[in-house]
Amino acid sequence: MLRQILNQAKKHPSLIPLFVFIGAGGTGAALYVTRLALFNPDVCWDRKNNPEPWNKVAPNEQYKFYAVNVDYSKLKKEGPDF
Amino acid sequence: MFDSDKPKARRPTPPFDPRFPNQNQTRNCYQNFLDFHRCVQKMNRRGKSTQPCEYYYHVFHSLCPSSWVQRWTEQIQDGTFAGKI
Repeated sequence: MLRQILNQAKKHPSLIPLFVFIGAGGTGAALYVTRLALFNPDVCWDRKNNPEPWNKVAPNEQYKFYAVNVDYSKLKKEGPDF
Repeated sequence: MFDSDKPKARRPTPPFDPRFPNQNQTRNCYQNFLDFHRCVQKMNRRGKSTQPCEYYYHVFHSLCPSSWVQRWTEQIQDGTFAGKI
């Protein structure tokens, strides 16, 4: 498919920005979905060995890209251990 | 049974939990409910007081809709609760 795109680009060079932007958008979407699948603490792949992955998140860890008004360096574990 | 039964000073809202940073706090409610019951079970098994488990009690009472809490408590009493305690 990449070869088809390159051939088209040679024949119609004005289409190159289109390929660039569509390519960037598609890779961006794919990467974000991979990030969600692999790193999101709500996602559970292995019910036997890792049944509650959100409990493995450290009290200081930030998953969101941008958190308004939350200073993650000052957070600590709230509930008592048992 | 717990301090919450006395009409004393108000408790602050549950603090920010980095495990559940988004708007949907359903899992926060459910996790604290589970933690409370697991804590109570463990403390009872070890023969210690369940007083430290109160933290989780207050948090889930603050976060969860009361209908959910009622339904889950009934399910626990009936033995049909789906969560792992």
